[in-house]
Amino acid sequence: MASFDFLKDPSWRKEVSSSALGKSFWGFGAAAVGFGILCWLIKGPDVVWAALSEDLSLVADLMPRVVVALSIAALIWVMMPRDRMSALVGKKSGMRGLIIATLAGAVTPGGPSSAYSLLAAVAVSGADRGALVAYITAWALLGLQRILIWDVPFMGAEFAMLRFAVCLPLPIIAGLIARRLPLTLRIKGDET
Amino acid sequence: MSPGLLVLSVLLVLLAALAVQQRQDTGPVVQRFVEQFAMLVPRMLVALIAAGFIAKLIPKEAIAGLLGEDAGLLALPVAVAAGLIVPAGPVIAFAIAAVFAKSGASVPALVAFVTSWSIFAAHRIFIYEVPLLGTSFLRMRLLSAMAVPFMAGVLAMLAGMITTFGQPLLTH
Repeated sequence: MASFDFLKDPSWRKEVSSSALGKSFWGFGAAAVGFGILCWLIKGPDVVWAALSEDLSLVADLMPRVVVALSIAALIWVMMPRDRMSALVGKKSGMRGLIIATLAGAVTPGGPSSAYSLLAAVAVSGADRGALVAYITAWALLGLQRILIWDVPFMGAEFAMLRFAVCLPLPIIAGLIARRLPLTLRIKGDET
Repeated sequence: MSPGLLVLSVLLVLLAALAVQQRQDTGPVVQRFVEQFAMLVPRMLVALIAAGFIAKLIPKEAIAGLLGEDAGLLALPVAVAAGLIVPAGPVIAFAIAAVFAKSGASVPALVAFVTSWSIFAAHRIFIYEVPLLGTSFLRMRLLSAMAVPFMAGVLAMLAGMITTFGQPLLTH
Protein backbone atom coordinates (compact mmCIF):
# COMPACT_ATOMS: atom_id res chain seq x y z
CA MET A 1 0.00 0.00 0.00
CA ALA A 2 1.32 3.38 -1.03
CA SER A 3 0.49 5.11 2.25
CA PHE A 4 3.06 3.02 4.13
CA ASP A 5 5.98 4.30 2.05
CA PHE A 6 7.27 6.33 5.00
CA LEU A 7 8.43 3.06 6.60
CA LYS A 8 11.01 2.63 3.83
CA ASP A 9 12.15 6.24 3.85
CA PRO A 10 15.67 6.26 5.33
CA SER A 11 15.52 9.89 6.44
CA TRP A 12 12.26 9.25 8.29
CA ARG A 13 13.78 6.21 9.99
CA LYS A 14 16.84 8.17 10.99
CA GLU A 15 14.69 10.96 12.42
CA VAL A 16 12.60 8.50 14.45
CA SER A 17 15.59 6.68 15.89
CA SER A 18 17.38 9.91 16.76
CA SER A 19 14.27 11.22 18.51
CA ALA A 20 14.07 7.91 20.39
CA LEU A 21 17.68 7.78 21.54
CA GLY A 22 18.56 11.46 21.53
CA LYS A 23 20.39 13.65 23.99
CA SER A 24 17.66 13.66 26.61
CA PHE A 25 17.48 9.87 26.64
CA TRP A 26 21.15 9.67 27.61
CA GLY A 27 20.70 12.59 30.01
CA PHE A 28 17.93 10.77 31.86
CA GLY A 29 19.95 7.57 31.75
CA ALA A 30 22.86 9.34 33.44
CA ALA A 31 20.48 10.90 36.00
CA ALA A 32 19.02 7.46 36.74
CA VAL A 33 22.47 6.00 37.36
CA GLY A 34 23.57 9.02 39.44
CA PHE A 35 20.49 9.11 41.68
CA GLY A 36 20.62 5.32 41.95
CA ILE A 37 24.16 5.52 43.33
CA LEU A 38 23.15 8.35 45.66
CA CYS A 39 20.18 6.31 46.87
CA TRP A 40 22.44 3.28 47.42
CA LEU A 41 24.90 5.36 49.46
CA ILE A 42 22.31 7.24 51.56
CA LYS A 43 19.48 4.75 51.93
CA GLY A 44 21.17 1.42 51.26
CA PRO A 45 20.78 -1.32 48.64
CA ASP A 46 17.35 -2.48 49.90
CA VAL A 47 15.79 0.88 49.02
CA VAL A 48 17.41 0.77 45.57
CA TRP A 49 15.89 -2.66 44.84
CA ALA A 50 12.53 -1.53 46.23
CA ALA A 51 12.60 1.54 43.93
CA LEU A 52 13.47 -0.59 40.91
CA SER A 53 10.72 -3.11 41.54
CA GLU A 54 8.21 -0.26 41.99
CA ASP A 55 9.43 1.18 38.66
CA LEU A 56 8.88 -2.16 37.00
CA SER A 57 5.27 -2.48 38.14
CA LEU A 58 4.71 1.17 37.19
CA VAL A 59 5.99 0.52 33.66
CA ALA A 60 3.85 -2.60 33.34
CA ASP A 61 0.89 -0.47 34.37
CA LEU A 62 1.83 2.44 32.08
CA MET A 63 2.61 0.71 28.79
CA PRO A 64 -0.95 -0.35 27.88
CA ARG A 65 -2.15 3.18 28.71
CA VAL A 66 0.53 4.77 26.59
CA VAL A 67 -0.25 2.54 23.62
CA VAL A 68 -3.99 3.20 23.84
CA ALA A 69 -3.51 6.94 24.44
CA LEU A 70 -1.11 7.37 21.52
CA SER A 71 -3.45 5.42 19.23
CA ILE A 72 -6.29 7.75 20.18
CA ALA A 73 -4.09 10.79 19.64
CA ALA A 74 -2.91 9.50 16.25
CA LEU A 75 -6.50 8.90 15.10
CA ILE A 76 -7.57 12.34 16.29
CA TRP A 77 -4.49 13.87 14.65
CA VAL A 78 -5.61 12.49 11.28
CA MET A 79 -9.36 12.99 11.60
CA MET A 80 -9.50 16.28 13.49
CA PRO A 81 -11.55 18.95 11.68
CA ARG A 82 -8.82 21.57 11.90
CA ASP A 83 -10.84 24.47 10.58
CA ARG A 84 -13.58 23.89 13.13
CA MET A 85 -11.02 23.49 15.94
CA SER A 86 -9.54 26.89 15.30
CA ALA A 87 -13.00 28.47 15.27
CA LEU A 88 -13.62 26.93 18.70
CA VAL A 89 -10.31 27.67 20.39
CA GLY A 90 -8.50 29.79 17.80
CA LYS A 91 -6.90 33.21 18.09
CA LYS A 92 -10.24 35.02 17.98
CA SER A 93 -12.09 32.71 20.35
CA GLY A 94 -11.93 35.13 23.30
CA MET A 95 -13.28 34.17 26.70
CA ARG A 96 -15.45 31.44 25.18
CA GLY A 97 -12.35 29.67 23.88
CA LEU A 98 -10.81 29.67 27.35
CA ILE A 99 -13.97 28.25 28.90
CA ILE A 100 -14.26 25.54 26.24
CA ALA A 101 -10.60 24.63 26.72
CA THR A 102 -11.07 24.47 30.50
CA LEU A 103 -14.09 22.17 30.18
CA ALA A 104 -12.26 19.97 27.68
CA GLY A 105 -9.29 19.69 30.05
CA ALA A 106 -11.50 18.71 32.97
CA VAL A 107 -13.18 15.87 31.08
CA THR A 108 -10.15 14.53 29.16
CA PRO A 109 -9.76 10.94 30.42
CA GLY A 110 -6.41 9.30 31.01
CA GLY A 111 -3.04 10.47 32.21
CA PRO A 112 -0.41 12.77 30.70
CA SER A 113 0.14 10.51 27.69
CA SER A 114 -3.34 11.23 26.37
CA ALA A 115 -3.58 14.87 27.48
CA TYR A 116 -0.19 15.93 26.10
CA SER A 117 -0.48 14.08 22.79
CA LEU A 118 -3.89 15.69 22.28
CA LEU A 119 -2.43 19.07 23.19
CA ALA A 120 0.36 18.57 20.66
CA ALA A 121 -2.19 17.80 17.94
CA VAL A 122 -4.32 20.84 18.73
CA ALA A 123 -1.32 23.15 19.15
CA VAL A 124 -0.20 22.81 15.54
CA SER A 125 -3.69 23.39 14.15
CA GLY A 126 -3.90 27.06 15.01
CA ALA A 127 -5.23 27.00 18.56
CA ASP A 128 -4.75 30.12 20.63
CA ARG A 129 -1.96 30.00 23.23
CA GLY A 130 -4.32 30.99 26.04
CA ALA A 131 -6.59 28.08 25.18
CA LEU A 132 -3.63 25.67 25.12
CA VAL A 133 -2.48 26.78 28.57
CA ALA A 134 -6.05 26.77 29.94
CA TYR A 135 -6.58 23.25 28.58
CA ILE A 136 -3.49 21.65 30.10
CA THR A 137 -3.86 23.57 33.38
CA ALA A 138 -7.49 22.45 33.64
CA TRP A 139 -6.51 18.87 32.91
CA ALA A 140 -3.87 19.03 35.66
CA LEU A 141 -6.01 20.82 38.26
CA LEU A 142 -9.59 19.83 37.55
CA GLY A 143 -9.28 16.46 35.74
CA LEU A 144 -12.39 14.70 36.99
CA GLN A 145 -11.01 11.23 36.52
CA ARG A 146 -7.89 12.06 38.55
CA ILE A 147 -9.94 13.65 41.33
CA LEU A 148 -12.23 10.62 41.61
CA ILE A 149 -9.41 8.06 41.53
CA TRP A 150 -6.77 9.90 43.59
CA ASP A 151 -7.95 12.99 45.48
CA VAL A 152 -11.07 11.42 46.94
CA PRO A 153 -9.65 8.13 48.26
CA PHE A 154 -6.38 9.61 49.53
CA MET A 155 -7.47 12.96 50.91
CA GLY A 156 -11.20 12.57 51.41
CA ALA A 157 -14.19 13.98 49.51
CA GLU A 158 -14.29 17.25 51.47
CA PHE A 159 -10.68 18.11 50.69
CA ALA A 160 -11.19 17.15 47.04
CA MET A 161 -14.23 19.43 46.77
CA LEU A 162 -12.42 22.33 48.44
CA ARG A 163 -9.44 21.95 46.14
CA PHE A 164 -11.71 21.71 43.10
CA ALA A 165 -13.59 24.83 44.15
CA VAL A 166 -10.52 26.99 44.73
CA CYS A 167 -8.91 25.77 41.49
CA LEU A 168 -11.98 26.30 39.31
CA PRO A 169 -11.13 29.84 38.05
CA LEU A 170 -7.36 29.28 37.81
CA PRO A 171 -7.03 27.68 34.33
CA ILE A 172 -8.83 30.68 32.83
CA ILE A 173 -6.55 33.09 34.72
CA ALA A 174 -3.49 31.16 33.47
CA GLY A 175 -4.89 31.35 29.93
CA LEU A 176 -5.42 35.11 30.21
CA ILE A 177 -1.83 35.52 31.45
CA ALA A 178 -0.54 33.39 28.56
CA ARG A 179 -2.28 35.69 26.05
CA ARG A 180 -0.55 38.73 27.54
CA LEU A 181 2.98 37.32 27.79
CA PRO A 182 5.35 39.04 25.37
CA LEU A 183 6.78 35.78 24.02
CA THR A 184 6.85 34.24 20.59
CA LEU A 185 5.63 30.70 20.75
CA ARG A 186 7.18 28.04 18.56
CA ILE A 187 5.55 24.63 18.78
CA LYS A 188 7.61 21.56 17.99
CA GLY A 189 6.60 19.94 14.72
CA ASP A 190 4.84 23.05 13.45
CA GLU A 191 6.15 23.59 9.94
CA THR A 192 4.35 26.83 9.23
CA MET B 1 -8.37 -3.24 34.02
CA SER B 2 -8.36 0.12 35.76
CA PRO B 3 -11.30 2.49 35.16
CA GLY B 4 -9.04 4.99 33.40
CA LEU B 5 -7.73 2.46 30.91
CA LEU B 6 -11.25 1.17 30.35
CA VAL B 7 -12.54 4.65 29.45
CA LEU B 8 -9.58 5.17 27.08
CA SER B 9 -10.12 1.78 25.43
CA VAL B 10 -13.80 2.47 24.80
CA LEU B 11 -12.84 5.85 23.32
CA LEU B 12 -10.26 4.16 21.07
CA VAL B 13 -12.79 1.60 19.79
CA LEU B 14 -15.30 4.38 19.02
CA LEU B 15 -12.70 6.47 17.17
CA ALA B 16 -11.44 3.46 15.23
CA ALA B 17 -14.99 2.64 14.18
CA LEU B 18 -15.46 6.24 13.05
CA ALA B 19 -12.19 6.10 11.10
CA VAL B 20 -13.25 2.89 9.34
CA GLN B 21 -16.60 4.43 8.52
CA GLN B 22 -14.91 7.51 7.04
CA ARG B 23 -12.53 5.23 5.09
CA GLN B 24 -9.49 6.95 6.59
CA ASP B 25 -6.08 5.98 5.27
CA THR B 26 -4.26 3.98 7.98
CA GLY B 27 -0.78 5.03 6.83
CA PRO B 28 -0.65 8.51 8.43
CA VAL B 29 -2.20 7.15 11.64
CA VAL B 30 0.51 4.50 11.96
CA GLN B 31 3.20 7.04 11.09
CA ARG B 32 2.07 9.51 13.75
CA PHE B 33 1.83 6.65 16.28
CA VAL B 34 5.36 5.40 15.58
CA GLU B 35 6.82 8.93 15.69
CA GLN B 36 5.24 9.78 19.04
CA PHE B 37 5.97 6.36 20.49
CA ALA B 38 9.66 6.69 19.63
CA MET B 39 9.72 10.19 21.08
CA LEU B 40 8.13 9.17 24.38
CA VAL B 41 8.78 5.62 25.42
CA PRO B 42 12.58 5.21 25.61
CA ARG B 43 13.09 8.39 27.63
CA MET B 44 10.03 7.59 29.70
CA LEU B 45 11.68 4.35 30.85
CA VAL B 46 14.95 5.94 32.01
CA ALA B 47 13.20 9.02 33.42
CA LEU B 48 10.92 6.83 35.51
CA ILE B 49 13.91 5.03 37.00
CA ALA B 50 15.55 8.36 37.89
CA ALA B 51 12.26 9.65 39.36
CA GLY B 52 11.82 6.51 41.45
CA PHE B 53 15.19 7.12 43.11
CA ILE B 54 14.55 10.85 43.64
CA ALA B 55 11.20 10.09 45.30
CA LYS B 56 13.02 7.85 47.78
CA LEU B 57 15.53 10.61 48.55
CA ILE B 58 13.02 13.39 49.35
CA PRO B 59 13.06 14.17 53.12
CA LYS B 60 9.27 13.94 53.60
CA GLU B 61 9.20 14.28 57.39
CA ALA B 62 11.50 17.32 57.44
CA ILE B 63 9.30 19.11 54.90
CA ALA B 64 6.10 18.19 56.75
CA GLY B 65 7.41 20.07 59.83
CA LEU B 66 7.30 23.33 57.83
CA LEU B 67 3.71 22.97 56.65
CA GLY B 68 1.73 23.27 59.90
CA GLU B 69 -0.83 25.96 60.82
CA ASP B 70 1.77 27.95 62.76
CA ALA B 71 3.95 28.31 59.66
CA GLY B 72 1.23 30.60 58.23
CA LEU B 73 1.98 32.14 54.84
CA LEU B 74 5.51 30.66 54.83
CA ALA B 75 3.95 27.21 54.42
CA LEU B 76 2.79 28.12 50.91
CA PRO B 77 6.19 28.58 49.22
CA VAL B 78 7.48 25.46 51.00
CA ALA B 79 4.47 23.45 49.81
CA VAL B 80 4.82 24.78 46.25
CA ALA B 81 8.53 23.90 46.22
CA ALA B 82 7.76 20.42 47.56
CA GLY B 83 5.26 19.92 44.73
CA LEU B 84 7.94 20.91 42.24
CA ILE B 85 10.44 18.30 43.38
CA VAL B 86 8.12 15.28 43.40
CA PRO B 87 8.99 13.82 40.01
CA ALA B 88 6.46 11.02 40.06
CA GLY B 89 2.88 10.10 39.30
CA PRO B 90 -0.18 10.27 41.55
CA VAL B 91 0.65 7.14 43.55
CA ILE B 92 3.74 8.70 45.08
CA ALA B 93 2.50 12.30 45.12
CA PHE B 94 -0.67 11.48 47.03
CA ALA B 95 1.16 9.12 49.37
CA ILE B 96 3.46 12.05 50.21
CA ALA B 97 0.44 14.35 50.62
CA ALA B 98 -1.01 11.82 53.07
CA VAL B 99 2.28 11.85 55.03
CA PHE B 100 2.12 15.67 55.14
CA ALA B 101 -1.52 15.59 56.29
CA LYS B 102 -0.73 13.10 59.03
CA SER B 103 2.16 15.23 60.29
CA GLY B 104 -0.20 18.18 60.73
CA ALA B 105 0.11 20.16 57.50
CA SER B 106 -2.54 22.86 57.15
CA VAL B 107 -5.29 22.59 54.52
CA PRO B 108 -4.02 25.57 52.44
CA ALA B 109 -0.52 24.03 52.44
CA LEU B 110 -1.93 20.71 51.23
CA VAL B 111 -3.96 22.46 48.53
CA ALA B 112 -0.84 24.36 47.42
CA PHE B 113 1.21 21.14 47.39
CA VAL B 114 -1.27 19.08 45.35
CA THR B 115 -1.86 22.02 42.97
CA SER B 116 1.85 22.68 42.49
CA TRP B 117 2.54 19.00 41.84
CA SER B 118 -0.42 18.85 39.42
CA ILE B 119 0.87 21.74 37.35
CA PHE B 120 4.64 21.36 37.55
CA ALA B 121 5.36 17.65 38.14
CA ALA B 122 8.87 17.47 36.77
CA HIS B 123 8.60 13.99 35.27
CA ARG B 124 5.65 15.06 33.12
CA ILE B 125 7.56 18.07 31.82
CA PHE B 126 10.58 16.00 30.83
CA ILE B 127 8.75 12.90 29.61
CA TYR B 128 5.85 14.46 27.72
CA GLU B 129 5.89 18.23 27.44
CA VAL B 130 9.38 18.92 26.11
CA PRO B 131 9.47 16.05 23.59
CA LEU B 132 5.93 16.69 22.26
CA LEU B 133 5.62 20.49 22.39
CA GLY B 134 9.12 21.87 22.87
CA THR B 135 10.80 24.26 25.28
CA SER B 136 9.15 27.38 23.86
CA PHE B 137 5.73 26.10 24.92
CA LEU B 138 7.11 24.98 28.28
CA ARG B 139 8.49 28.44 29.03
CA MET B 140 5.21 30.10 28.15
CA ARG B 141 3.17 27.65 30.24
CA LEU B 142 5.42 27.94 33.30
CA LEU B 143 5.30 31.75 33.20
CA SER B 144 1.50 31.68 32.82
CA ALA B 145 0.86 29.15 35.58
CA MET B 146 3.60 30.13 38.04
CA ALA B 147 1.21 32.00 40.34
CA VAL B 148 -1.56 29.39 40.21
CA PRO B 149 -0.52 27.18 43.19
CA PHE B 150 -0.08 30.30 45.35
CA MET B 151 -3.52 31.56 44.32
CA ALA B 152 -5.00 28.16 45.17
CA GLY B 153 -3.31 28.19 48.59
CA VAL B 154 -4.44 31.75 49.36
CA LEU B 155 -8.01 31.01 48.25
CA ALA B 156 -8.01 27.92 50.49
CA MET B 157 -6.73 30.10 53.33
CA LEU B 158 -9.56 32.59 52.79
CA ALA B 159 -12.06 29.74 52.68
CA GLY B 160 -10.57 28.47 55.96
CA MET B 161 -11.48 31.79 57.62
CA ILE B 162 -15.18 31.24 57.07
CA THR B 163 -15.52 27.46 57.26
CA THR B 164 -13.68 24.36 58.47
CA PHE B 165 -14.89 22.44 55.41
CA GLY B 166 -12.14 20.59 53.55
CA GLN B 167 -10.23 18.78 56.28
CA PRO B 168 -8.31 15.84 54.83
CA LEU B 169 -9.12 12.30 55.88
CA LEU B 170 -6.39 10.78 58.04
CA THR B 171 -7.17 7.13 57.52
CA HIS B 172 -4.15 6.23 55.43
